[in-house]
Amino acid sequence: MRIAYLDGGAYYHHATFHGRGFSRYFAANIYAPELDDTDLDEFDGLYVASRQDPEHLRRNKAKIDAFLDAGKTLVVMGDNDAETWVPGARWEARPVNFWWWLTPGADSGLRVASPEHDLMKTIPLADFTWHQHGVLTPPQGAVSLVDRADGGSIFYDDRASAKGRILVTTLDPCYHNGSYFMPAATRFLQGFLPWLAKA
Amino acid sequence: MPSILYLRSMGHEFPAFLSFAESEAVTARYLREVSDDELARYDAILVPAHIDQRGLARREAALTRFLDKGGTLVFNGHLVYPMLGLAPFVPSQGGHKDDLIVESVNAHPVFDGVDDYDISFRRGVSGFYGRGGNPPPAGAIILHRMKTDHAPLDWFWERPQGGRILMHAGNTMWMYLGDDTSAARIAPQLLAWLKATSGKRAACDGKCAQRAQAQTLAQPQNLLAQAA
Repeated sequence: MRIAYLDGGAYYHHATFHGRGFSRYFAANIYAPELDDTDLDEFDGLYVASRQDPEHLRRNKAKIDAFLDAGKTLVVMGDNDAETWVPGARWEARPVNFWWWLTPGADSGLRVASPEHDLMKTIPLADFTWHQHGVLTPPQGAVSLVDRADGGSIFYDDRASAKGRILVTTLDPCYHNGSYFMPAATRFLQGFLPWLAKA
Repeated sequence: MPSILYLRSMGHEFPAFLSFAESEAVTARYLREVSDDELARYDAILVPAHIDQRGLARREAALTRFLDKGGTLVFNGHLVYPMLGLAPFVPSQGGHKDDLIVESVNAHPVFDGVDDYDISFRRGVSGFYGRGGNPPPAGAIILHRMKTDHAPLDWFWERPQGGRILMHAGNTMWMYLGDDTSAARIAPQLLAWLKATSGKRAACDGKCAQRAQAQTLAQPQNLLAQAA
């Protein structure tokens, strides 16, 4: 799959794209403010790295909808106001507990929701596990891969809301990997990006 | 009073800082809302780590004009796009707790009374404040460094061509505003320092090199030496 990496220009977007050999999974790097002038026809997937300026995404909603109408794949990482521009996305804030892991034996609160899903056979739950920024309610027909025990999904796979496929998460691996801060986020990408390239 | 521009974060903005800055008459705008001419007009610019740095680097000419006329740039984050003649971020090696301890090197009013422990650890976890350095230009004064490898985490530089840069190569320094530690002093001390020293007082009419030299000689005692 030819995947374009949407780069919001932050240092961590740069570090995630250029570091650890991840650029080999991408056919192009699109600078988010230039998405308006970029033709997406040549790509099969659009990977929206975590923590973009959502204004650029909302402004290009029609272009992204058309991309999905063509049967292509949209990947939306966390903190992108997905509920304002991704078909079917519903998100709600939850207090972010950055510190749960300081208690020995603590429960992360995450549960594998679809153990039979190909991605869940590829990445262990531990590599989805740091903290999450809010929860998602998967649209009807979508499949949650990882749930929170207290309700909601943190990662779903949606083939129902558009002709194409939509993967949405509240995890922000690009930020943490690109900040050299959170080994699980790096392991997540090391599992996810090769999986995505073959999906 | 000096005019101060806070370029707002794309994400993970700290609402307490936004309110505080606005209450202190700081102008808060997104980079995309500010023209080159406007950028160059301010006396001080605050750049958070969560900035569109690629976009900021494209404004290098305006930032240079801003500095040349005596502006003060407060930069947070890993520098990865070349700008202003500065070298890119170098991460520290080792991610273990004790690899990420921060230590003071020289005093600065922004960090007055800020305990090294409080920027080294949050709830006992290290690495929030910084984990590497943006290499300083010649003449810069190191304020904080990583204890293990001496990576230059914070530095202050008076450019020979004019203007000043306060560099912090980590998470946005004003994120501690609501903390119950001495690190909460950083944000108010930063704005107080900018108000007291930026603007006309920072412009140097071609005498910056002499001023920088004088300042270096007048530096407060090395805190490490003091601790020893």
